[in-house]
Amino acid sequence: MHYDLIIIGMGLSGLMAAKTAAKAGQKVLIIGKGMGSLCLFSNTIDVLGQIPKTMKMRDGLTQWIKDNPKHPYSKVDFDKIEEALSSFLSLFPPPYSFHAIDNMNCLLPTGVGTLRPTYLIPMTMVEGASLDRRNTLVVGFKGFKDFYARYVADQLQSRGITLSLSDTLPQEISATALARLMGEKSFREKIGREIKKQFHDETRVGFPAVLGMNDSVQVKEDLEEIIGAKVFEIPILPPSIPGKRIFDRFKEWLIRKGVSFLLGYSVARATLKGKRCEGIEVFHPPVSTTYAADRFILATGRFIGGGLKADREKVSESILNLPVYQPKLPEHWFERILFTDPPHPIHHAGILTDSSFQPVDERGDLILENLWVVGSILAHHHSIDEKSREGIEITTGYMGAKHALEK
Amino acid sequence: MKIKTEVLIIGGGATGVGISRDLALRGIPSVLIEKGDFASGASGRNHGLLHSGGRYAVSDSEAARECIAENKILRKIAPQCIEETGGLFISLPDEGLDYRERFLRACEKVGVQTTLLSRNQALELEPELNPNLLSAVKVPDGAIDPFALVLENAKDAEEHGAKITLHTEIISLILDGDRVKGVRVKDLLQGEEYAIEGSYVINATGAWANKILKLAGLHINMALSKGSMLITNQRLTQNVINRCRPPFDGDIVVPNHTVSILGTTSIRLEEIENYEVTPQEVSLLIQETSRMIPAIQEARFIRAYAGIRPLFQSEEKENDRAISRGFVLIDHGKRDGINNLITITGGKLMTYRLMAERASDLICQKMGTNVPCSTHLKPLPGATRPAGLKERFTQFSTDRADTLCDCELVPRKEVEESLEAETLKDFQDILRRTRLAKGTCQGGFCVYRFLGLLHDLRMVEGDSNKTLKGFLEERWKGIRPILWGAALKEEELIESIYKGIFNL
Repeated sequence: MHYDLIIIGMGLSGLMAAKTAAKAGQKVLIIGKGMGSLCLFSNTIDVLGQIPKTMKMRDGLTQWIKDNPKHPYSKVDFDKIEEALSSFLSLFPPPYSFHAIDNMNCLLPTGVGTLRPTYLIPMTMVEGASLDRRNTLVVGFKGFKDFYARYVADQLQSRGITLSLSDTLPQEISATALARLMGEKSFREKIGREIKKQFHDETRVGFPAVLGMNDSVQVKEDLEEIIGAKVFEIPILPPSIPGKRIFDRFKEWLIRKGVSFLLGYSVARATLKGKRCEGIEVFHPPVSTTYAADRFILATGRFIGGGLKADREKVSESILNLPVYQPKLPEHWFERILFTDPPHPIHHAGILTDSSFQPVDERGDLILENLWVVGSILAHHHSIDEKSREGIEITTGYMGAKHALEK
Repeated sequence: MKIKTEVLIIGGGATGVGISRDLALRGIPSVLIEKGDFASGASGRNHGLLHSGGRYAVSDSEAARECIAENKILRKIAPQCIEETGGLFISLPDEGLDYRERFLRACEKVGVQTTLLSRNQALELEPELNPNLLSAVKVPDGAIDPFALVLENAKDAEEHGAKITLHTEIISLILDGDRVKGVRVKDLLQGEEYAIEGSYVINATGAWANKILKLAGLHINMALSKGSMLITNQRLTQNVINRCRPPFDGDIVVPNHTVSILGTTSIRLEEIENYEVTPQEVSLLIQETSRMIPAIQEARFIRAYAGIRPLFQSEEKENDRAISRGFVLIDHGKRDGINNLITITGGKLMTYRLMAERASDLICQKMGTNVPCSTHLKPLPGATRPAGLKERFTQFSTDRADTLCDCELVPRKEVEESLEAETLKDFQDILRRTRLAKGTCQGGFCVYRFLGLLHDLRMVEGDSNKTLKGFLEERWKGIRPILWGAALKEEELIESIYKGIFNL
């Protein structure tokens, strides 16, 4: 089978690259062994959390690009970042749309009751961005062990209640199961009525981010009607239901556009010829298949995603054995203190590319003519601390694909 | 506030708590003061080996005899804290069989029972062993849960009238001529300071012995030797595996519940605070132990930790492994003219009961009474209870309630019960008394849930994020030395959660 473009990795950057190429009419294969960090961490779209609270994103990013010339954002100018974000947004029409509040970061409450800066937030979280602590009720569920309403409420100085619904809920329930149950009208009505009984006329009610899998705005509105207050979702421990919503939307759109979507398989190896990648070999037990293409995009993520791996001596790239920029010695990977500033040096490790996201060696020479590398596997960012994960994935996925199509 | 007692014991490790129980069974009142939790020193930071005596048979026959005698006693009085795994001393090709012959003779002499196994017999018993091994000697080694052992001793001591006070630090010794009249202490949780008077004072602070003696202007010659260990995320062998050669770094692997513990190193320290496991020690331990069990090269580790052995020395010796692992009982009346003060230090977990017996005998002698010791005869309170693992699984499969910890299958109900049974003093204390944070993720998930539960039960209301961050920093010390492979992936996940999603 021959494709115009093969994308390895099904996280947000791979999906963005697939979308960009599919829109340009390319024959695309996207292959991933999992859904990337999207379904673990991506509740909202971070672009750059690490800028002053009242600064416009445009100003913050412009300054950031100036101050951090090696950062992935510096390979994309601000207009292109905006273009990439718009391309992402176009995939999410109302009701489940994403919004930036005043073109600045907003602060959203978290599962430990802290406030966290983020940029684009889904409709189901908007009410959390203008929190009136004393008039907020936080609701948890007994048997759902990844969210504790009173923990959150005590930090926020709000009120917290834990619903005990032994007749409705099993003793132990997961985020996914709870989100599916919320999709059932009778279930959420029961929840709403139970809350109404314990309601003290708060203006807002916060829930863990499990309000339905794909109809969450409907779930939110139904609850609001029964309770008589605004409802919002609070990001919690993985898995991320809001991340799964993003994934599902991409998947539906890409398949509709004729993209070959191969989820659950990993790439065993790549076939190289000179300075070109000819194909990838995928192992579907008991057979393996080779897929060929003109161009390839590597979007395999960092350690969790499997794009990078570390043994006791060094960090390496998993599929093509690309050179990895990294601290000189393993004992320099981590600082003595966990909560350090600046972050642990290993988070800086990754693949070095030229300005069009093609991997280069230490001398800056191109390694493969038809390979582009995008997403969190890139070197010179600290996405966890910067709060830039989704922004980097969206913009590099988008621009990587653009560059690949141009060449 | 002023408290008076007969015997004041300083130190809540195995020895101190053992003395507390010993005196209580003899009907002598005592108060024990510990600045942290039980077993926070070497008692809780070792590889949990129930020595057969084999390890010391060649080099130190006296220590070996003590070991095998105490081994037999502990199996009787504390079966709930022991797993009778058996142990193997394996001979590797490059070392030959010379040591094995000395070893077998020495074991026979000190009374350690041995069975010689061929290569095939050994591999049948333990398939993960180096397939080139020459032979193995089976000995009655076992695994012991040090924390459970100390808790059981404390419980029995308290049931017999002893008083034990945790999280209380000694600020000064109140000297009065040739006596220590008492101590001034500070309650570290409440901040309150008060005095305790005792007719006799026992310094059972292990590696901290000189810190206490300094308060009386005294000093003993003691070396501090750091021993580092690594924990794998699964059990590699069913037997304790030893190298059949003179004791050296990285020559022992002890199975412990669901994991294996790789030990140890021996590094001289000048200072007792701020020690850590170095990358060199990690490499050494993996390199050496993987010669016995090759799978260790690929194993996943969940934590590294170190303890400090207090080694008493009569003279300077270069190699700490050559200094006796035996214990020392010092009568400061004879040595320094302070008549009611004694220090007991050195030794090891294995001989805690014997050390307690000797210290208590000395106190009785000073008091002029001769009530005999009975700790070797009377089983600890939970002795009829079966050891934990099987019980936990049975309970878990019959009663699938919500689980706070998925690694170690700790149900919410169990944590709630333990919260009811103990008065919540210190967050870390509660963790130590459950299986929370002991599994593969080392508390990366369950500690957040545990804090959530505390809020749910209205047992805490304040700033739990500070506690959470404090826990994660503490956890980091044990994780940082072993971050590669799967453990590094997990760490990226943990950072993405706490620094990322939760913005701590």
